[in-house]
Amino acid sequence: MLRVVSEEFYPDWEAVYRDNVARVYRLMFAKVGNRPDAEDLTAEVFATALGPLRVSASAAEVRAYLLATARTVLAGHWRRTLGREVTTLTDEDSLEAVPVDAPTSADTASRAARMLAQLPESYRRILELRFLESCSVREAATAMGISVTYAKVLQHRALRAAAALREVSE
Amino acid sequence: MSPRGARRFVADLLRGRRPRSFRAQDTDLDELRAAIMLRSAQPGSGVPREEFVTDLHQRLADQLAGKSTTALAEPVRGPRPVVDGTRRRLVAASSIAASAAVVGAVADHVLTTRTPASGGQAGPQTLVPDAGQWRTVAASADLTEGGVQGFDLGTVVGFVSRTGGALRAVSGVCTHLGCRLALDAPTRQLNCPCHRTSFAINGELLRYQLRVPPPALPQLEVREADGAVQIFAPPGQA
Repeated sequence: MLRVVSEEFYPDWEAVYRDNVARVYRLMFAKVGNRPDAEDLTAEVFATALGPLRVSASAAEVRAYLLATARTVLAGHWRRTLGREVTTLTDEDSLEAVPVDAPTSADTASRAARMLAQLPESYRRILELRFLESCSVREAATAMGISVTYAKVLQHRALRAAAALREVSE
Repeated sequence: MSPRGARRFVADLLRGRRPRSFRAQDTDLDELRAAIMLRSAQPGSGVPREEFVTDLHQRLADQLAGKSTTALAEPVRGPRPVVDGTRRRLVAASSIAASAAVVGAVADHVLTTRTPASGGQAGPQTLVPDAGQWRTVAASADLTEGGVQGFDLGTVVGFVSRTGGALRAVSGVCTHLGCRLALDAPTRQLNCPCHRTSFAINGELLRYQLRVPPPALPQLEVREADGAVQIFAPPGQA
């Protein structure tokens, strides 16, 4: 597998793709939270970007350009699905910073951990079970020793509480 | 209790499905953000499927080999349950064109000046004259849903259309070498008489037989006022 450092140049579009597809995907997943959309948006970024791209640009320039494209693509996605910009790619998001080999980006995981740490125990637990461990409502209810109905209520309340934290809206 | 659309969005995320669209309110946003943030903290969530990476590579290779010009932007998107299918499809198409237009600009910018461009708010490449005025091109009543009309303001020529209730105006000049585009009403396409290039009425490039794809058509600002459709264009030469 080809390795390219940022001061270098990509030999062809395939190198651009190989080196960046996982990074773009991870950025997109962090912004949409589901695989089908993350895949579509990743495809849209490359489809849009590779045409006009000149490989004479340095790897850093190519990445800046992919990121700019990703920003536009994400904005378009929210515009046509929810009519509101739920998440955006900001200046702090960069393709270089995305660790492609780790199972989750440290940043995403630590933000979520910081958020959860501020919640009461039962809220934290239901969110962990449902969102991070992908348990069904029933499984989560069993794990917590509560009824399914209450687990649902608890999940809504917990998410509302999480939404009110500073980590989310910043 | 959060509104239904937001609740369904969260439920879809939890099932790993593509969330259904709905008209989100500002009050929903933080909850949606929290849900997205938690979902993306799931171990392994940020790693693309091998199949996807391989498949996309193939589609890009096809696109770059000229086997299809719009292939990627369109079929990539799987069917998505929508309330209003037509509107969505058209809006989707236009935003793809929009990103293409921005990218054209961004590419030159990034590659020549090395300044990271921000595409986020730029939207489609829009022609805004320094000294423009709102000029009427059609009566509102004459531009019905799904309609397209050409206009010639002397300073600017273009096409205005109404799709899904929204107005859009694009330049009527081919971005390749400047030939005037002709409207093919049945297919709602704008065809270049010179080199068999076609654009959608939202400005998106549909077809070309050139070595390099020409950029999407610039958008023009359009509004509806006092029963008239108006374009923001330079004043005409008297």
